[in-house]
Amino acid sequence: MDGKAKSDHAGSNTNTPQLELTTAGSERPNLKDPSVVLSLLEADQVVAAKRQTRFGRRNLSFAARMLLWGLRIYVIAMLVVVLISVLGAIHASP
Amino acid sequence: MDDSRNKPEVSAYRPAHPTTESAAASPVASDLIGLLTHEDLDRARDRWQVARARWREHGSKTFGGFRLLWLLIGPGVLVFLGENDAPSMLSYSATGARFGIGFFMPFIILTFLMGYIVQEMTVRLGAVTHRGHAELIFDRFGKFWGFFAMGDLVLGNFLTLVTEFIGVRAGLGFFGVRPVFAVGGALVIVVGVIATGRYWTWERITMGLAIFNGLFIPAAILAHPDWRATGHALLTWMPLPGGSRYEILVLILADIGATVTPWMLFFQQSAVVDKGMQPRDINAGRLDTFLGVLLATVFAIAAVLATVPLFHHGIGAGDFQAAQFAQALEPWIGHVGASLFALGIFEAGMVAAITISTSSAYAFGEVFQTGHSLNRPLREAWPFYLTLLGSACAAAALVLIPRFPLEFVVLTVNVIAVLAMPPALAFLLLLVNDREVMGEYVNGVWANVAGVAVTVLLVCAGIGFGVATVFPKWFGS
Repeated sequence: MDGKAKSDHAGSNTNTPQLELTTAGSERPNLKDPSVVLSLLEADQVVAAKRQTRFGRRNLSFAARMLLWGLRIYVIAMLVVVLISVLGAIHASP
Repeated sequence: MDDSRNKPEVSAYRPAHPTTESAAASPVASDLIGLLTHEDLDRARDRWQVARARWREHGSKTFGGFRLLWLLIGPGVLVFLGENDAPSMLSYSATGARFGIGFFMPFIILTFLMGYIVQEMTVRLGAVTHRGHAELIFDRFGKFWGFFAMGDLVLGNFLTLVTEFIGVRAGLGFFGVRPVFAVGGALVIVVGVIATGRYWTWERITMGLAIFNGLFIPAAILAHPDWRATGHALLTWMPLPGGSRYEILVLILADIGATVTPWMLFFQQSAVVDKGMQPRDINAGRLDTFLGVLLATVFAIAAVLATVPLFHHGIGAGDFQAAQFAQALEPWIGHVGASLFALGIFEAGMVAAITISTSSAYAFGEVFQTGHSLNRPLREAWPFYLTLLGSACAAAALVLIPRFPLEFVVLTVNVIAVLAMPPALAFLLLLVNDREVMGEYVNGVWANVAGVAVTVLLVCAGIGFGVATVFPKWFGS
């Protein structure tokens, strides 16, 4: 399902499997050794690393903003309709 | 308490990029050594199991692959069996009782395929970014749109959670269990499952409970379904439903709402992150999601088949709740069949209570930047666990209030889920097409076509419902 276009970022470093293999071959990982822990995780998986980085705000195009507003108005309008429907059903029930 | 709440302003953050770089090879690796948390250690332990299974897979083509799959399945199976929840199983049951075997059976398969299209995107988002859905929405679209999305989620999740406890109460009510014991017992199970303090254990226990959704299969077999008619309906979508078009539309909406809902997006992405899945695991994540779809579809169709005797005997089941369904079915599927049906409703409510309250807790933690992982001990992530238990307790308490309009909640919950879904899908599609976030894992053309088609279908179904409500005469109501 995913596209195959190349990115400047993703997959740019392919040393993960090599680092991991050393650990995978052992019967039990020594997780007291931080380098073992780091070899098993991707850079962005470590809690401390994730705290220091953020995907910043994206600039929404006019069309995207209109889409989001349109869907927001749709939801609010439909919630009113649901309320009408449910109140009607409750009044109709004995 | 997670000290990340004392975070600097957003501008102080370094920009994140999608990367498959090992943490050990990262330029900041030396800085991270002293900052590893309990969550990191648990996740590393899970990743070691996966790495070892991959390593062994090369030696043993037969069993290595199964071991790897066993380790990587979880979020997809849980999200779909969690969505086969109490109101969903009641919607399927109402469908079988009202229309019998016919159009709705292939339609249910179609709704699950829609579910797969949507949920596959969350697998990719979670595995590539290692961030939850709520966190990404706030990061990329800002607080204004973020709080709108959260408003939909919180409202939908809470109402759904109430219906899960209604299911628990009604399911056990069939066996004469008093509501306070049924609901209290369910809360004890929720606490017991999260008390393990480990994502892996939580996932396995919840999956173990979720597989009892299959109780609807023996219940269906005891209803002696017409397999020939079932096969014919699945292949031809016939016979078409007759009667009130408004009623048909509401059931269509309820069946869609039983399969594609906002909490599923938030839950699966957060669970993929908490499980520690990486881009290399995306294909396994797809298989996990497909397995979830397959199991949930079979169990949903079993629920329809189990209640078909009510259709054949002309018993109206429009206002039935769980226990009444089981009682009404007893003359035709026997006490064992009715008991299985009631237990199935209990299980559906129980598992969904666990997954939906966890979904709320993940979203809360992501938005307010507190610890949000089932790998964290209570002292490090008490706001996360408090949200999880608080939402479950509040929903459970509402169910026990005498004369609380439970019918109101049950009527609205699936419909609200469908109506809230298009904006959630818009955020999902914008995120999964965002190259700065997804890198090479952005949506392909066909994924976008399918995603847009699902969104348009949901909007049309919602508008149809609105028109039918405002102008009921047009629909013969």
